[in-house]
Amino acid sequence: MLKKRLIGVVTIRNGWVVQSFGYKRFLPIGDPVCVVENLDRWGVDEIFVQVIDRHLRSGGPDLKLIARISGCGIATPIIYGGGIASVEDAADVVRAGADRICIESLLRTNPDEVRGIALKLGSQALIASFPLSIEEKHIAWFNYKTQEQTSITKYVADLLKEKIISEIILIDRVNEGSPNSFDFNLLKAFENIGVPLILFGGLSRADQLKKALQHHAVSAVALGNFLNYTEHAVQKIKKDLAVCSIRPPTYNDGGLLESDERVSSL
Amino acid sequence: MGGYSKVMKEYQACKRCCYSTKHALGLVIDDDGICSGCRIHEEKDSLDWAERWKKSEILTNDYRSNESSTYDCIIPVSGGYDSYYIVHTIKNKLGLNPLLVTYNKYWNTPLGIKNLANLRIKFNCDIVIQNVNPIAVKNIVKTTLRRLGSIYWHCIAGQTVFPVQTAVRYKIPLIIWGAHQGMEQVGMFSHEHEVEMTRRYRKDHDLMGFEADDLVSSFDTLSERDLWQYRYPEDNELNHVGVRGIYLNNYVRWDPKIQHELMIEVYGYETSKFSRTFDHYDFVDCYNYMNLHDQIKLYKHGYSKVTDHACREIRHGRMKRSQAVDLIAYYQYRPVEHARMFCDWLGVNVSSLKFVLDQHRNQDIWQKDKMGKWIDKMCGGLNDVSDKTPDEYDLRFEENSSLSKGGDASYITIGKGWP
Repeated sequence: MLKKRLIGVVTIRNGWVVQSFGYKRFLPIGDPVCVVENLDRWGVDEIFVQVIDRHLRSGGPDLKLIARISGCGIATPIIYGGGIASVEDAADVVRAGADRICIESLLRTNPDEVRGIALKLGSQALIASFPLSIEEKHIAWFNYKTQEQTSITKYVADLLKEKIISEIILIDRVNEGSPNSFDFNLLKAFENIGVPLILFGGLSRADQLKKALQHHAVSAVALGNFLNYTEHAVQKIKKDLAVCSIRPPTYNDGGLLESDERVSSL
Repeated sequence: MGGYSKVMKEYQACKRCCYSTKHALGLVIDDDGICSGCRIHEEKDSLDWAERWKKSEILTNDYRSNESSTYDCIIPVSGGYDSYYIVHTIKNKLGLNPLLVTYNKYWNTPLGIKNLANLRIKFNCDIVIQNVNPIAVKNIVKTTLRRLGSIYWHCIAGQTVFPVQTAVRYKIPLIIWGAHQGMEQVGMFSHEHEVEMTRRYRKDHDLMGFEADDLVSSFDTLSERDLWQYRYPEDNELNHVGVRGIYLNNYVRWDPKIQHELMIEVYGYETSKFSRTFDHYDFVDCYNYMNLHDQIKLYKHGYSKVTDHACREIRHGRMKRSQAVDLIAYYQYRPVEHARMFCDWLGVNVSSLKFVLDQHRNQDIWQKDKMGKWIDKMCGGLNDVSDKTPDEYDLRFEENSSLSKGGDASYITIGKGWP
């Protein structure tokens, strides 16, 4: 059985990593490379870099950022999302150093291009994100470009059934950033389509994380804001999730032996 | 003013305080034009601080020892800034037995040495002082000045790593810091996030993205021998001891002016006037922080410490924005003092220093005019400056001493106790 994963989410706006609260309110965190490098050292299983304002800058994916991140010598796989509008964009993102790509608005605007990306990069490299909320007992899909909510169309649902997308990032858009508030009702529309789910948005404490990881359709949980508050946040969460078939926590020892000069000097 | 307009288009300024999105720590402006720092500051008037104080008592109780022969926590201190208030809160209010630790930055003022001696005597605390050999420190300063445009890297690196090394060495897991500057200035975290010390924040913000080993380069004479004292302990060492660093401003309504004035009254904290800000309380322990370091901040980021002080006073409701603008305009271009003393210490001449500093001016902010004089294209980001001087405002910052304490200004490189 494959291990389940803990994914670190790095949300970027105006070139800065930010804490995000419902994708409406933001607080500054720091430099993307420093944050990614730190998550790598802490042993997170995968890192999702989401640039949330590329549509306002009309510049396609942030290739310079991906190159900076991949150039810092990290060993953790990177998912990149933001500004990918074509097969060429997707290929450029992988060329710049990302391992997988995440699409969102392309699902609405150009499903054929999504098929093209799967053909070019392989489905294993293609992830789709769905920012969702429950509105009047129905699941609503948020379009960040128009700021409107729609239902998930049959066309998109059929696209998902083609199995050209390896995983879905299911985002609780309303509760994103608020501790222990993920709404599990959001899983209902996705839990039986056969595409593994990554849950994100309001998952913070061990009880909810365990519940998520024990769900048959869930392959990973993702955390953003909550990984910024304490030292070794990833290792502490992994320790609490030891029963969930997740890679155990590791603590970097800098490759030192006990007899090393630096240790003995302390 | 054409340049000013162009630059300002790229930055957004807060409507309430005087910060803009060019802040070195990052800043977010919301749809109402109010910055993240001002929004988080609003929590100071909405949170239940009695409840938050109880949280600090519960948290620190886990670290309280019943033995009188051990320390409960570590407090990083200096002869200035918030040291007195932190020790007062931890020792007298929480009743913990702290070990004080301090890093010798070498640019100590007699006033800072006096304050530090008085601190350990009045609070009856043990103190550990880290003296890195001055040759290594000078080598580091030369490199960071040239590469990063920073004279202060070694001070911040030392101040932020020595307490953590001491925690590992003496197996004292709890470190208690004063205010988290990312929270206080730009609202990086809510008080309710109860953020703790991380190596990532230190590297990202305190050290400008450069940890000790990142400074080693084959194109430089700086070596591992100069830098090893500034290395952060490894993750497994921190985990083994259980080291964590908490910030008091998550549990106490943080107000440096009020806190300093209490410390002046009760413990005899001494203060000094500065030429580049109206605040007389912070950084009185160093000849360079409010001078050369402050000017470098202006060169690189387009604002200086007086803006930090003015924003703080606006948020606490003691200053109007118009007054803050006048004070910033008055102070931020004032001449730097004690630059020659720094050059003599480092072994460089003033014109060489000036040349290096000019290399680090932010080209988005500074440009040379036809006469070769540097001009601030943004005019400090200030509009509607009046011709009022600080004397015309009732600022109420107490000055009860001077940096040199009446003697000749010189660095106290190794400070002794004060009579």
